[in-house]
Amino acid sequence: MSILRAEHLQKTFGGSGAGAASVAALDGVDLSIEQGEFVAITGASGSGKSTLLHLLGGISRPTAGSVFLEGVDLASLDDDALARVRRRRIGFVFQRYNLLPELSLVENVSLPLVLDGVADARSEAAARAALETVGLTPRAGHRPDELSGGEQQRGAIARALVAEPAIVLADEPTGALDSVNSRRVIELLMRLVTERRQTVILVTHDPSIAAVAGRTIRMRDGRIESDHRNGPERGVEAAAPPSAASTGAPRE
Amino acid sequence: MTISRLLRRQWRKRPGRALATVASVAVAVAAVVATWVAADASRAGYRRLAETVEGVPSIDISARGGGRFEATVLPKLADIPGVRAVVPLFFRPTLLRVGEKRVREVAVGVDAAALVEAGLLTLTSGRPCEAADEVVLDAALAEGLAKRIGDEVIMFARRSIRRMTVVGIADSQSLKWFAEGGGVVVDIQPLEEMSNAFGLVDRVRVVVAPGGSRPTVLAAVAKRLPATLAAEVPAGRAGMAEDVLHSANLGLDFVTGLTVAMAFFLVGNAMLMNVTERRRSFALLRVLGATGRQVERFVMAEAALLGAAGSVVGAAAGLAAAVPISAGISRTLQAPAASLVVHPLVIPAAIALGTLVAVAAAWWPAREAADVEPLAGLADAPPPPRGVSGRFLAMAVVMWAVSAVVMTLVVWEWLPPRAAVPAGILMMLAFVATTPIVLPTLCAACARLIPERWRIERTLAVEQIIRQPIRTALTTGVLVVAVSNAIGLGHAIRDNVDDVRGWYTRLMRADWMLTHAGMVSGGLAMAGPKIRMAEEEVRALTGVKRVEGIGVAAGRVAGGACVVVARDIPADTPLPTDPVGTTEADLRVALDRGEAAAGTVLARRSGIKPGDEVEVEVYGRTARVKIAALVVDYTSGGASLLLRRDVAARLFGLEAADIVLVTAEPGAMASLRDPLQRIAESHGMLLRSFENVQAFINGIVGGVVNSLWMILGLGFVVGSLGVANTVTMNVLEKTRTLGLLRAVGMTSGQVTRLVVLESVLLGVSGGLIGAVGGMCTALLIQLASQPLLGHPIRASLRPTVVAVNLVAAVAVTVLAAWIPARRAVHLDLLESISTE
Repeated sequence: MSILRAEHLQKTFGGSGAGAASVAALDGVDLSIEQGEFVAITGASGSGKSTLLHLLGGISRPTAGSVFLEGVDLASLDDDALARVRRRRIGFVFQRYNLLPELSLVENVSLPLVLDGVADARSEAAARAALETVGLTPRAGHRPDELSGGEQQRGAIARALVAEPAIVLADEPTGALDSVNSRRVIELLMRLVTERRQTVILVTHDPSIAAVAGRTIRMRDGRIESDHRNGPERGVEAAAPPSAASTGAPRE
Repeated sequence: MTISRLLRRQWRKRPGRALATVASVAVAVAAVVATWVAADASRAGYRRLAETVEGVPSIDISARGGGRFEATVLPKLADIPGVRAVVPLFFRPTLLRVGEKRVREVAVGVDAAALVEAGLLTLTSGRPCEAADEVVLDAALAEGLAKRIGDEVIMFARRSIRRMTVVGIADSQSLKWFAEGGGVVVDIQPLEEMSNAFGLVDRVRVVVAPGGSRPTVLAAVAKRLPATLAAEVPAGRAGMAEDVLHSANLGLDFVTGLTVAMAFFLVGNAMLMNVTERRRSFALLRVLGATGRQVERFVMAEAALLGAAGSVVGAAAGLAAAVPISAGISRTLQAPAASLVVHPLVIPAAIALGTLVAVAAAWWPAREAADVEPLAGLADAPPPPRGVSGRFLAMAVVMWAVSAVVMTLVVWEWLPPRAAVPAGILMMLAFVATTPIVLPTLCAACARLIPERWRIERTLAVEQIIRQPIRTALTTGVLVVAVSNAIGLGHAIRDNVDDVRGWYTRLMRADWMLTHAGMVSGGLAMAGPKIRMAEEEVRALTGVKRVEGIGVAAGRVAGGACVVVARDIPADTPLPTDPVGTTEADLRVALDRGEAAAGTVLARRSGIKPGDEVEVEVYGRTARVKIAALVVDYTSGGASLLLRRDVAARLFGLEAADIVLVTAEPGAMASLRDPLQRIAESHGMLLRSFENVQAFINGIVGGVVNSLWMILGLGFVVGSLGVANTVTMNVLEKTRTLGLLRAVGMTSGQVTRLVVLESVLLGVSGGLIGAVGGMCTALLIQLASQPLLGHPIRASLRPTVVAVNLVAAVAVTVLAAWIPARRAVHLDLLESISTE
């Protein structure tokens, strides 16, 4: 049974004002993702890959069509219920880490649990466990500005999995990292799939990272151009090193 | 908990933002506290002033149909809340002989010792009279008669001659409020015996306690009285000072209300900016699963904490500011300085109010934060420009409509003048709420005046202003309210002052004025001893061009109390009063025919119209008099009825004058001083020059006006601080933008100009909108005060008032922008670019 399903998904931006032209970012996307899949969404800039990810993650609502997460139509949920789904069932990893600069790493990681009303002690324990998973236990008390780009992104992954979500969505998670850190991040995401049977959906424009995933969906002009399985997920070592274009992260 | 830690750390990380928010609340609360306390000081000052000029607020109880009555029929009144004292009064015309001099006087029978003890009678020397052969003399009369403590005067009564010893000298002002022109105070029982009227009184004066409401006390007293007695406000006491007090109180209420409105703008803007700046943080929380309600609660909790902190600081600062302002107001009102009394509830109320306002002001930004689209909040690009929503405009239209309806009802006298205060404030809020519609266009138009060589700075400044019309409106709202307030009230005050000055210049057009010694110039008392002899002697003097006698008597018209003014009206001089709705020539003809002119306030209170024939009672004589016209008159608060003197003499026997106005031939004014002084002394009268009277009235009017100006000035200072704070927050919020501009090569001069130009545009636009609002406010105040005064006051455009305020508005914004502009220049580029 699919854990995530999209039916006739459409998303249009703009066009509400007089004379303003509307842009169709997604145009009738149908998609089904099984539990434990590692899916890479690729495509050129403006192809609609990030828009698809945002709709699948419930941080944006479709213009038309539906997204079913574990059989629940996200469009049928009100704002608060959707927020609870994001908090409990979905983990997000962004290109720019998006850690709150005012909080320490462990506090950042525990945030989804805190928002869910989990007691401080329990949420901190869970956060430390998640940090251990990503190898950041010694950095738990540090603020984001005291961490390197790679550490921040691993911290963001720890935050994404602290609530043990059904799926983890990652939007260009290596886009701001150098090759070493990129490899570590992808390795972490792969471990989620192989060791925890979690579902990971990753947006990337880097073919070498896409090649690591078990399934690659290629987007073009808001539609799925191709959707093929790469066979069993390969190890990171098997993949080609990330391209130089993705090595923008300055530190470490 | 992590959320509260997040809050604390956000404050620590960006203390400027939190401090600016706290400062906004503090400034707003300080403004409200200072205005509140200063307004209270003004009210107390007005009250003291009113007491000085008109006497203590009181109510008179007299027999229906006139005459004396048995004091024993009077029920107990002292226990009525708001009653300070109950004073029986007995009047007796008498003649004093001092050496060869004989002076007509009125002896006043009271319990002098009790009055002194109650603080209602002040003795400048000696003690109260207690024995039958003791008197207390009015200070001015004693001076005129050259009498001191221990001297003897002979008092003629109907059946006896008594040798009396002067045991005390009374302060003229304190004596005036109950003696009504009488200068000789005798214990009430001996005076009753002398008059063979033991146990009878002429009237009983009920003194209203400080802070008590005269109308409430009047109603309570009237309820207890037997049918044979009537209670009313003394005719000569519903006077100018009280009406000035009433109008000024309305002004103070209006200013206080606008300060609260301004405080709301300040706090609202601070909260909005505080939230907008952290849009990205809130968006991230939303992505991570925070519900809208959680974000809303977060913002509200922060608002409550910052609001409470700002309120505590503001309340203390407000009190500190109120001390010198209140002292200044007391000085300018020329009222005895009183120690600053702060109601015990002011501070807790201000802190609670400040916190509540902060929470209320945060409600909308909190909703905005809760509604942040997670995706939009995480975007690198700034949020798209937001126009004015239909709901916002609908709210403004409703506010306009409600305030306009209430104002109309006030002008039509269906609602009391006090209702104009909240309506005026609501109208001002509606006015500010409407400004986002015109502000972008106005800013763009003003920007055209900026030199072409600053095109880049100009374009960016206009873009910043137009991008967020609501926030720009809130920023300028503070300025709009301050400028509207200053221009509106400034015009209204000046117009009112001109009206009062025009009135007394017409009324007192003379070089010299002779009055009875016990009567203080400027406040017309009820009929006292007449000074016919003196008048005749003055007419006989060389160098006198014109002598006009004015007789004043308490009377009743159409069942209500009034003051009847009987006056010589020479054919070769303008009328001493300003007719409303008719010409001076027509009114003169009508007065010559024996008709009367009613003061506008009297007409409004008694429902008298021109053409009516009304029953007038003076000295127990009744006659029907036709009302020729209404006139602008502030004598006894406008409750006056003007008749030619010969007509008053024929109808009521009101023949002699209480005041004699003397106009000198050209160049003879100075030479008349000595002979007039001799006449005054020989008749126990006071001689005052017109300049002296003018200074006296100017002192009263000027005091009230200056106190209002001081509070208006306070509002302007608060507005300035608010603008300064808002501009500072604007710059803080734009740290990243300014850093980027610097990074791409904008010079420090360009950044300074950008920040300053933006402020100048806000200042000019806010000033211009405020000027329009001010003119409308002035017009509304004139309309709203019409029912109070009974006549419209001529509204005039005063370019100086408008120009001064506009220049001040621009100057304030430029000064306010300077420090933030310098700060923007010195931003660390890397740090500012990485600022979220």
